[in-house]
Amino acid sequence: MKKRLRMNSSLTEYLEGTLFIAPWLTGFLVFMAFPIGYSLFMSFQNVTITASSTTTEFIGWTHYRTILFENGSILYNDLLPFLRQALFMIPIIVIFALLIAMMLNQPFAGRTLFRAIFFLPVILATGEVVKEFLMQGEGELGFMAKYNVSGIIGAYLSPTWSTPLISILNSFVLILWYSGVQILIFLGGRQTISNSAYEAARIDGAGPWETFWKITLPAMTPFIFLNMIYTVVDLFTFPTNPILQRVRESEYGQYSALIWIYFAIISVFLALIFYVFHLATKPQRASR
Amino acid sequence: MLGTKLDKLTKTRRSELPQLLDRARWKIIGREADKGLLFKCFIYLILLDAAYIYLKPVFHMLATMLKNPGDLLDPSVKWFPNTLYLGNLQEAWEWLKYPKALGISLTLSLSVAVLQTISCAVTGYAFARLKIPFKRLLFGCLLLTFIVPMQVTILPNIIYARELGMLNTIYPIIVPAFFGLGLKGALFVIIYRQFFSTQPKELEEAARIDGAGVFKIFYKVMMPLARPAILVVFLFSFVWTWNDFYLPSMYLSDIETAPLSMGISRIASALRQQAEVYGPSVTDEAIRMATTFLMIIPPMLLYLFTQRWFIEGVERTGLVE
Repeated sequence: MKKRLRMNSSLTEYLEGTLFIAPWLTGFLVFMAFPIGYSLFMSFQNVTITASSTTTEFIGWTHYRTILFENGSILYNDLLPFLRQALFMIPIIVIFALLIAMMLNQPFAGRTLFRAIFFLPVILATGEVVKEFLMQGEGELGFMAKYNVSGIIGAYLSPTWSTPLISILNSFVLILWYSGVQILIFLGGRQTISNSAYEAARIDGAGPWETFWKITLPAMTPFIFLNMIYTVVDLFTFPTNPILQRVRESEYGQYSALIWIYFAIISVFLALIFYVFHLATKPQRASR
Repeated sequence: MLGTKLDKLTKTRRSELPQLLDRARWKIIGREADKGLLFKCFIYLILLDAAYIYLKPVFHMLATMLKNPGDLLDPSVKWFPNTLYLGNLQEAWEWLKYPKALGISLTLSLSVAVLQTISCAVTGYAFARLKIPFKRLLFGCLLLTFIVPMQVTILPNIIYARELGMLNTIYPIIVPAFFGLGLKGALFVIIYRQFFSTQPKELEEAARIDGAGVFKIFYKVMMPLARPAILVVFLFSFVWTWNDFYLPSMYLSDIETAPLSMGISRIASALRQQAEVYGPSVTDEAIRMATTFLMIIPPMLLYLFTQRWFIEGVERTGLVE
């Protein structure tokens, strides 16, 4: 009797849970799972769309072969510079955001005002507005031209690497604009470290420098990881991204193949971050 | 006798001097480094620099927008125009068909924000507290929706919309929000999940003992608690939908139904065409800036009024894991 009742109650709990998740699951199946499958399907097809109907014809790996080997201009011209730039931008964005978040966490006069200013990018930095701001030449740093930094970099590095580096320095302001949400995440994350840890460290005579490396940074590792992922996703799915702008409403088959190749590249990036994070937290987990 | 006194005196002197030095050092570097003068200056320097970078384009926008053609040509007028000229704003207003586009933008962003705030809360609560079969697998699916670029699913979704005759309506953008998906929906679910899982379990247990069902617990106990998370999600959702121009450019290509976010690119291309025919005009940039201004002013106002609670909310939610 008692056992049956317990089983029933656990069954009800499962039912309630299912009921709560049902809307999202439906949406996921309809708007995510099926479209993902369908776009994968389309990438192997020759799709022709007329006003009344859609016809598809299986052509195997043709689209992939065209994009990867035959007509390189579709992918490589935009992709390679973008990837190289992303490789620089991701760590810069994360480190900058961490720095600013740590500073905004200090008590000082005018903190509220500064916080309000630093959340501006969250409000504005989506899509067209930033592009508009950058078009007025506000994206450049004055000292670049003054000290001929790009000339120096160009002299010491091969052009493959110096070009993205210079373009990053040129668009440094853009990097700052991209780091709004990351600052928020770090600020939120900093609140999860209890003050008693800092007090204990202070009593033990640890300086601020040691405190940062021994307490703040290890506790922030999950947030750094999260920010890395967020930055990668954000950078790679930003609408002004050169590859994504190619996905337009024509040539359904070929663009599906293109976006799948692109998605595979994003996955590699994410897997790499996961792996690095796994390595980085190994000592932490072992000591626990 | 005298020798010992002198000795004592020099001893005190010797011990006083380092003390004085120490005190000065504490004043400048600070006993805990975050309280010293030097550190404070350093912080202010960096923060002011970054703040300047953030604010400069905004001020530039405001200044350029209010210049009349004479001021635009005059290189001595940089930040403060001689007269406040509203012609650019007027022109941008007409180009944009402002009242109508504003209405569309408001309808779109408000409905997406409201729907996402509710549906993501439901989903987040389920992930945080309820028993769900295959929970890990489903959470994996949630993360998948986070990392899959919109562009993977956009073409099939357009086919959906066309089959259902919903192109050039706002429904294809709103309906996914109803199900807790849509623009960055996964992020909002994760925010809620994080928030709910930090709440004490005793609350629900007490409510359960009092005989409340899971729905009652959700909207009588959990939702009122979740106010900071609700504010954060609502504001993010509103602002991101407002600024997004990718989805509208896919679904709402018709001029009559275009929201404000598409206005900038439309005006830019219109001005470019005009420049090709008549040559570039001095007011081009001013008009573009006025357009930008008209576009960002509603979310800016919203942010201005909610920013205090918003920042608190971000800290209280711990935002994400």
